[in-house]
Amino acid sequence: MTATTGAHPVFEPVLGELGERARDEVLAAFAAVEHSPEPVPEIQLPALRDATLRRSLDALLGRVGRTLIGVGEQAWTSAYRDDVAAELAEAGWHSLPEIDRAVLVLVLIHSVAIPRSRGTLPGDAWTSGQPTMLAELQDASRIQPTDMRAALQRLRAAGLVQLVPQRAGAGQSAAYLPGPQLHRLTPAARRRLQEELILAAAPSSPLAAAIRARHGSTVSVRGATTGGTA
Amino acid sequence: MNAHETALHQTALWWARIRAAGPQLVDADGPTPPGLMRLAEPGGSRVWLTTVLPGGAGPAVLDELDLPRPVLEQPNDTARVLAAVLKSCWLDPSGPLWPGATAPFGQIVATFEALTGHDEVVSHRAVVAAVRRLSWSGWLLWDEQTRTVRLGPRVATWAATELSTLRELWRSIPVPDKAAVRDTETEMDGDTS
Repeated sequence: MTATTGAHPVFEPVLGELGERARDEVLAAFAAVEHSPEPVPEIQLPALRDATLRRSLDALLGRVGRTLIGVGEQAWTSAYRDDVAAELAEAGWHSLPEIDRAVLVLVLIHSVAIPRSRGTLPGDAWTSGQPTMLAELQDASRIQPTDMRAALQRLRAAGLVQLVPQRAGAGQSAAYLPGPQLHRLTPAARRRLQEELILAAAPSSPLAAAIRARHGSTVSVRGATTGGTA
Repeated sequence: MNAHETALHQTALWWARIRAAGPQLVDADGPTPPGLMRLAEPGGSRVWLTTVLPGGAGPAVLDELDLPRPVLEQPNDTARVLAAVLKSCWLDPSGPLWPGATAPFGQIVATFEALTGHDEVVSHRAVVAAVRRLSWSGWLLWDEQTRTVRLGPRVATWAATELSTLRELWRSIPVPDKAAVRDTETEMDGDTS
């Protein structure tokens, strides 16, 4: 029952403006960035390399609430448009249970926030090579080990965390990294995450005060309070 | 925003909701947003809405481009459990998949056992885990109260060419003995292995 023939009401207004070859290339790139668990190297797809085709691809993604995201110099993925993500979040469309979000935040603190504050992780990405040990997750929270395991399993299935491949030395505890889905963040989403984490981790710092001033006091008080109890 | 922009925005929101949370069950009275498939839920008052991609924009393209596929835990057992659900809920393979019939959990376990040759304990554990995974993603519907399984709205997006392969597969799946269908206790939130 998939629409393999006929004009698709959402895609056609963009695809209809393209020649046959460009149309196939843009559709293939759409499928690649939307479904691939990892960012797609642009060398593999003409519609990612060519700036004109890339604009058509971004227009196509935009029609389904998505946008194109550059990862590094030569790879691409897709993410929710900022306005769409804001509306979904506002309406309570959280697809993760609270406990999963808490475990994800712990991994992000250990693998991204701490190395970045030490200056060992440059840039603004939310992926990292710095593993979070299972023991660190357990020590840092009051989550029951069985609940923690179930949450990590769901986060892995969603691509939000990944297991670090077993390193030399048997008997080491499992270790986790932020998953490849963390590439699917727009620059504004990355900045918002950074600010929320500063408000949570150091609510009385000058940086937190600056963020509060920029956002207005209502948001900042709520952010700092949530942070203090997280 | 003018009326055209508002309509475009609403369509984008629908597509994003379904990407975030899977097919959506809504009142049958409402309109069908552009590009969405409408699947009547038995009873008639509600419908599922799910997205339909044009040919060449689906996940099959990943294989053609030699890109990695999304990681699925226990992919083999998960696929076999979906096969067992297909056998149990698609009673007439010459007809459409949706909405299919309801099957008790015990029947899915017995079909899985007949398909794999695993013993009851191993099968029960594998089916519990796979049913949870498949119901999260909308491939099947699990009813905790009645402990029954149905095919999920995502199966209706399979293309006609895929259906002919599925019919062949359906015929090759053994039917379990009636005696093998047990009324087993099932706790979906318990065992996570």
